[in-house]
This record gives sequence, structure tokens and C-alpha cells, in this order.
Amino acid sequence: MRANQSMVFSLAYHLLHDRAAAEEVAQEAFLALHRSLQRIESPEHAVFWLRKVTVQRSIDEGRRRMRRPQVPLDDQPPLATVDAKGDPLLSGILRRLIASLPEAPRSVMVLRYQEDLDPSEISRILDMPVSTVKSHLQRSLALLREKLERRGVGEFGWTP
Amino acid sequence: MDPLEQQLKQAMARIEPPADFAARVRAAGHRPSAWRSPALAAALMLLTVGGGLAWREHQGQIAKEQVMTAMRITARKLDRIQTHIKEVKP
Repeated sequence: MRANQSMVFSLAYHLLHDRAAAEEVAQEAFLALHRSLQRIESPEHAVFWLRKVTVQRSIDEGRRRMRRPQVPLDDQPPLATVDAKGDPLLSGILRRLIASLPEAPRSVMVLRYQEDLDPSEISRILDMPVSTVKSHLQRSLALLREKLERRGVGEFGWTP
Repeated sequence: MDPLEQQLKQAMARIEPPADFAARVRAAGHRPSAWRSPALAAALMLLTVGGGLAWREHQGQIAKEQVMTAMRITARKLDRIQTHIKEVKP
């Protein structure tokens, strides 16, 4: 479990942008894995299964929260990232922009840039054609570029 | 990978969950669910069945009282009619 807990927690956090909700989803995903252990064939299958279930449960939780809006108690940037390089302010803006995308492109972007998966792997996890995954990636990147430019952020960080 | 994609990789880096996360998942896994506890499930079943029987008994009592009231009213009316007939008869 320890090997996968940051993967599962981060997927839920980047999809929901709320630490408490991410903890809850991550906990549910591990308990569901525990209940389904007999069907898991290998460690790779467990990782695939955890990614799939975490994304699905995060989407369900996001829909539930849309119906019953809540004020997150903790909407602060993450306390500890595995790789803390780069501009933290820009990273925060990017995380918020990704969290504001519709659920399908958001899931694609999180799996692509958090998990470094290629479009074919993402298409298997999300049960989505590879062409749709590629199209979500291209359109989301274009949208992020446009929003960053409107905020005065260039390709290499803040412009004076 | 262009600069925006590199920034995205940094922004979406994995985050460590709270230190006690694994312990909490284990505790949640061992916590018996209400439906998995045989004693609690039996108690809930008894409460449901017992409650249903009590409700049916209560409804039966109300119906019985309504029938008795209707019979009393009918008997009084019949008495009055009988008295009236006796008065009219020469």
C-alpha cells in the first residue's frame, strides 16, 4: 500500500482539489482493492486497478459535491510534493486551472502529467478511444496557454 | 516536451498523504460495519419485525373501536325507530 499511496492520494487531490475529499477517496480506493484482491493478477494490474477506481470515485465525488456544494476546510496548496522544483506560484495556478476543466479532460490531463502515461494507457484506464484522449490533451493545453497568457504568464514563467 | 508541459509535470507532481494515512486505512478496514455485525443485524431485524407487528396491532385496535362505535349508533337509531313505530300504532 505504501508504494501506491502517494499515487492514489495525488490522483484524487489533483482531480478534486480538496485534501479532505482526496483522503476519503484514496481510503475508499484502498478498501475496495482489499475487497477485490482475489481478482488482482499482478502488481501492475493492482496499479492499473487503483488508477481506474481512484479516477472513477473522484469523478463520482466531484458530481456529488456539485449537487451539494461544500466549502472546503483546507484549500491550501499541498504541503509536501515528491518533486518540489519549479515556480510554486505558477504550479498553484496550473493546478487550479486543471481542477476547473470538465471531468473528462481533467482526468486525461492528471493521468498524463501526474502519472506520465501515454494516450494509449490513458484510454485503457478511462475506457475512451485514443483519438479522444489526444483531442482532450491538445484542447486542454491550448486552453491552458490561452488562460495563462490572459493572466500575463508566458511560457517560462511570469512576464514583467 | 515544451515548457508548458514541463511546468505541468512539476505542478502535478505526486503529493504525500498525511503520515497516518496508512494506519487510518488499516483501521477502517478492520472496523466492523453495522451490517457485518451479526448481533447488531439481529437486533435491527427484531426491531423492524417487532415494530411492524406493534403497528399492525395498533391499526387493528383502531378498526375494532370504529366498528363498535358504528354498531352503537345503529342500535340507538333502531331503538328510536322502534319507539316511533309503537307511538304511531293505534
